[in-house]
Amino acid sequence: MASSSNSYNSPCAACKFLRRKCMPGCIFAPYFPPEEPHKFANVHKIFGASNVTKLLNELLPHQREDAVNSLAYEAEARVRDPVYGCVGAISYLQRQVHRLQKELDAANADLAHYGLSTSAAGAPGNVVDLVFQPQPLPSQQLPPLNPVYRLSGASPVMNQMPRGTGGSYGTFLPWNNGHDQQGGNM
Amino acid sequence: MGGPGSSPCASCKLLRRRCAKDCIFAPYFPPDDPHKFAIVHKVFGASNVSKMLQELPVHQRADAVNSLVFEANARVRDPVYGCVGAISYLQNQVSQLQMQLAVAQAEILCIQMQNEPTLQSHHQVLELDQDHKALLLNNNNINNCNTNNNNNNFGYAMSSGQFNSNFASPSSIMQMQMQMQMQDPLKQESLWT
Repeated sequence: MASSSNSYNSPCAACKFLRRKCMPGCIFAPYFPPEEPHKFANVHKIFGASNVTKLLNELLPHQREDAVNSLAYEAEARVRDPVYGCVGAISYLQRQVHRLQKELDAANADLAHYGLSTSAAGAPGNVVDLVFQPQPLPSQQLPPLNPVYRLSGASPVMNQMPRGTGGSYGTFLPWNNGHDQQGGNM
Repeated sequence: MGGPGSSPCASCKLLRRRCAKDCIFAPYFPPDDPHKFAIVHKVFGASNVSKMLQELPVHQRADAVNSLVFEANARVRDPVYGCVGAISYLQNQVSQLQMQLAVAQAEILCIQMQNEPTLQSHHQVLELDQDHKALLLNNNNINNCNTNNNNNNFGYAMSSGQFNSNFASPSSIMQMQMQMQMQDPLKQESLWT
């Protein structure tokens, strides 16, 4: 059904937007249904259709749905906040993590003062800093992931954690497959 | 930048084109950092980045470029989840920290509530002390009365037989009053038990 191009089915949102014929085997059709034209419009504006085609072709078929959903999420964030995009959301979450960690440390110190120790009191700090300077709070805060964009299947952390190799926990970033690629100067 | 003698920016070098004076990429992609533009070009495309930058005021373009570079790096590292992987991970961290904080705060509240009943117990001890003192005062009264009266029935004042047979006498009345006074603190004490 997704890849059929007979007259009974509408073209996918991508082919409709690009004004081209939706062929059988169209790589966009399974992920951009015609009733969600806005989703493709955002992805096309930010990433470009040819770039997305290349990206999807490099992935296994069972990974493409998650990839499209994450691209759509990032594209929407970029459209909402053209300056900071997803980095605004990441900076906001990082500040939340730091603030909560401080509050938890203070609460555990109070518990230690009362002479009681709990399992939480002994828990080590678990904060991982991204290699990015915190940005000012974006004027338009991005809401949490909504159901449309929620990643299906196992969470990225669960998917990638077992593949991490070597290095202490502090240097392992659960969302980068454990690879130690050199990024840009940030 | 631009003009003869200077190097083209990293983007014009990669795209093999002439770097004009008003090149929109030149301020943000210096020739000594070619990887920065290469990765942005791979993920977003040069024309898309150019359009995005043109839509922004000049003073915001540097931040926009930095965030695009960050997101491009995340996408290349993780082609499936990109930045959403980082966001999802951080959201999980926030949730876990919030739960741990709630548990710790609940334990602190329990300890503080445990300290409050202890004060009540101390108050009860004070009450018992008062009862004891009242009993002592009554005993002193008994001794004083008996000493003042020089009553021959001193050793038998509490005897019910003596009490009944001497009901009408003044000394019997006094003994009866003392007994009634003594019973009050005992009743009061039993209320606390």
